[in-house]
Amino acid sequence: MTVTFPQKGLPWLLLLPQLLVTAVFFLWPAEQALEQAFYREDAFGLSREFVGLENFADLFSDPLYYQSLVTTLVFSFSVAIAGLSVALLLAVMADRIIRGKLAYQTLLIWPYAVAPALAGVLWWILFDPSMGPIALWLGAAGVEWNHYLDGNQAMILVVIASTWKQISYNFLFFLAGLQAVPRSLIEAAAIDGASPFKRFWTIVFPLLSPTTFFLLVVNLVYAFFETFGVIDATTKGGPGQSTTTLVYKVFDDGFVGLDLGGSAAQSVILMGIVGLMTVVQFRFIERKVQYS
Amino acid sequence: MIENRPWLTFTSHATLLLGIALVALPVWMALVASTHPASAFGVGHIPLWFGDAGAATWGAVLFDKAGNGVDVPVWFMMLNSLIMALGITFGKIAISLLSAYAIVFFRFPLRGFCFWIIFMTLMLPVEVRIVPTFEVVANLGLLNSYTGLTLPLIASATATFLFRQCFLSIPGELVEAARMDGAGPWRFFFDILLPLSRTNIAALFVILFIYGWNQYLWPLLITTDDAYYTLVMSIKRMLSVTDGDIAWNQIMATTLLAMLPPVAVVIGMQQLFVKGLVDSEK
Amino acid sequence: MTDVILEKVGKTYPNGFHAIPSVDLSIEEGEFIVLVGPSGCGKSTLLRMVAGLESISTGELRIRGERMNDKEPADRDIAMVFQNYALYPHMTVYNNMAYGLKNRGMAKELIAEKVTDVATMLGLTELLQRKPRQLSGGQRQRVAMGRAMVRDPKVFLFDEPLSNLDAKLRVQMRVEIRQLQRKLGTTTLYVTHDQVEAMTLADRLVVLNKGKAEQIGTPMDLYNKPATPFVAAFIGSPSMNLLGANLTEQGIKVSDALTLPLSHRHRGSIVWGIRPEHLAVSDEQNADFALRIQAVESLGAETLIHGKIDTASGDGEPMVVRLSGPHLPDINSVMWLTAPAQHWHLFDAMTQQRL
Repeated sequence: MTVTFPQKGLPWLLLLPQLLVTAVFFLWPAEQALEQAFYREDAFGLSREFVGLENFADLFSDPLYYQSLVTTLVFSFSVAIAGLSVALLLAVMADRIIRGKLAYQTLLIWPYAVAPALAGVLWWILFDPSMGPIALWLGAAGVEWNHYLDGNQAMILVVIASTWKQISYNFLFFLAGLQAVPRSLIEAAAIDGASPFKRFWTIVFPLLSPTTFFLLVVNLVYAFFETFGVIDATTKGGPGQSTTTLVYKVFDDGFVGLDLGGSAAQSVILMGIVGLMTVVQFRFIERKVQYS
Repeated sequence: MIENRPWLTFTSHATLLLGIALVALPVWMALVASTHPASAFGVGHIPLWFGDAGAATWGAVLFDKAGNGVDVPVWFMMLNSLIMALGITFGKIAISLLSAYAIVFFRFPLRGFCFWIIFMTLMLPVEVRIVPTFEVVANLGLLNSYTGLTLPLIASATATFLFRQCFLSIPGELVEAARMDGAGPWRFFFDILLPLSRTNIAALFVILFIYGWNQYLWPLLITTDDAYYTLVMSIKRMLSVTDGDIAWNQIMATTLLAMLPPVAVVIGMQQLFVKGLVDSEK
Repeated sequence: MTDVILEKVGKTYPNGFHAIPSVDLSIEEGEFIVLVGPSGCGKSTLLRMVAGLESISTGELRIRGERMNDKEPADRDIAMVFQNYALYPHMTVYNNMAYGLKNRGMAKELIAEKVTDVATMLGLTELLQRKPRQLSGGQRQRVAMGRAMVRDPKVFLFDEPLSNLDAKLRVQMRVEIRQLQRKLGTTTLYVTHDQVEAMTLADRLVVLNKGKAEQIGTPMDLYNKPATPFVAAFIGSPSMNLLGANLTEQGIKVSDALTLPLSHRHRGSIVWGIRPEHLAVSDEQNADFALRIQAVESLGAETLIHGKIDTASGDGEPMVVRLSGPHLPDINSVMWLTAPAQHWHLFDAMTQQRL
């Protein structure tokens, strides 16, 4: 039990700024979204009528919405799996090294600090169909690269840019996880005659599974919500709708398409998804606490 | 190490070096591109080694108007970015410290409810409810203002939870000793709590500075006046021209300048950064 | 002059748990009172109620005649030494000691003077500019005491202050605390679970059990005339031998193998007790009973012998005997013992009160 101060009014004063900001900039907009989701506004924003669940019905009968959902899933899992694999490989290598670990860490973690939009621009120039060196090399190798026209290639580009930024984060957590694996276990396995490769898959990797699961959730959340800048700066959701994720669609329908009701309905659905992911994350963290 | 296998150590170093090279590749290209004149970029051609127009490009980018409808130079936008990043960072730290203090060290009715309200903000990232949030800020007349750039982003469940965790780890006897020594709530907060939380505050500062500096969508929406443009979002405005006219050398120099401050913070304060990253996920 | 008065002081937690039903205690000025009892007996709660860190549910606390129930800890003119010392980790030793005085708005020069005085008394002068983490356990303990002493309070409160020190240092600090308290003459309330510490420090002891004061008295009162079997078992090491018995016309019938002659008007179930040091070796003719030896602990200056009262079935009551000097009896052999009547302690088994 923590020791507390007896004052009754002071805590409200202390909480006031946080509660005020939360109410004005979080709860009010969320409530607005909830409300707008049930209305349809005319093109000039002069009148609106209550339409019940029609906005949601429209959404669920819209093939573009399903396409966006699939795009989001493909994008998110690609980013998560690519990011985790590369980071795990690098972390395992870094864990083996005795000297220079910190130098390697320094040289690997800085992309975390790069804004997603900038990451997108940096990779864009490498893949620019007319002059990007990678696009030109690919062309020389017989692969015609043009992410302006090819939806799959556009997807690959945003996946690479998003993954690049996230590797540093995964690397740090994997390295910490690896360093927490008791040396004695690995030594015991070595005495039992397991090769380094086998030791990794039978001892180290299973012990890393809480970290891996945690990172999987964090990466999915990242790919869902924080990659807006990557997409907006490079493909703008195109070509066609091939890189329009759910979050991008909320923005696109709301600000570009001016379909406020539809955008609000999408917001409501997304809030539901975030809520679910938050619960999963917290459940997991509760378990993690019990482990230790 | 259990055994010393030279080839394995060699592989490790080789893999890491390759990883570093891949990670650094785009930045290397950007650096090279920024040292050439705009005319060096054409179909089927991009320079792969440093040119001699570096000083000219960087000078032009930093001090001339950025162009493409952006009538302020990059140094000015860097200043805006700095104001926004610091505003968000200090704002978040201040209100989170206060609310975590209230939640941990006081007992009052609806305490659990307040905790849940703050928790809810985790479920409502700005990207998800972007349209109504924009409307709210527009209604409040906060478009094109520093307040509009910072205030809506400073409520933070993560920071509040972090400080709550940190406060909970302070031994109760210390609080009692302070009360015996005649320290009231405010004196305790400033004399004991803040000094004891300073590493946590510093670690969070690093993370939040990066978060604030890298804001993209929010400033993009609420600023239409050049005077409030931040550097990261301006990239989009500079890029929105017809294909062939993009001044790649300047774009790349701008991109490098835009990522320089947060990257410098990460590298310069690596320990605090790692601590902040790990703590804020607890 | 009576300094601190606890009148029917009780504590009930919001969840309905009666931690302390009602305690009465009046403390004379300059007295050293030790609250002692097993963990969970409420001794720390009682101390914290005096400190003002826990609210008083019922009853009244008065210090120098003034009602203190609703006063803030800082306004009670008390100082406390905590179990984990609770030194502010970011402040120097000097600032740790000065903090309370600063908060009271004392002039800088006066603070410096007081801190220097106390530091000299405690031998901390060299350490004033260090941070707590640069100090050893004993030094931290001293700083915690110094912080209490500079305030020059009416009452010192100690909450198990020695429990984090190693055995040798504990003995040394125990002596030091007692000397300091005598010198300063400050009324002191001291909580411990260690009965040796309690006996050596206290002017008077309060033995607490489940929130109730079982007995209040000087160490020798408690040793010689424990009021209940609980006190009898708690005070003294090794513990008093306490056996269930029956008081009849023949005397005290401890078991089939042992009846001790006694004429007493009380009849029925009792608890009979005798301290291990009061059992004496005898021969077969004069002995009260035989002990079947099970284990011997040789400590050099004394020997502890564990055994059972010898019976045919081998299920006699366990007893401990304490003999001075070295003895090496064989395990499983029999030892003849007398239990002198002047050292008996009799308690009513029902009321648990001394007869």
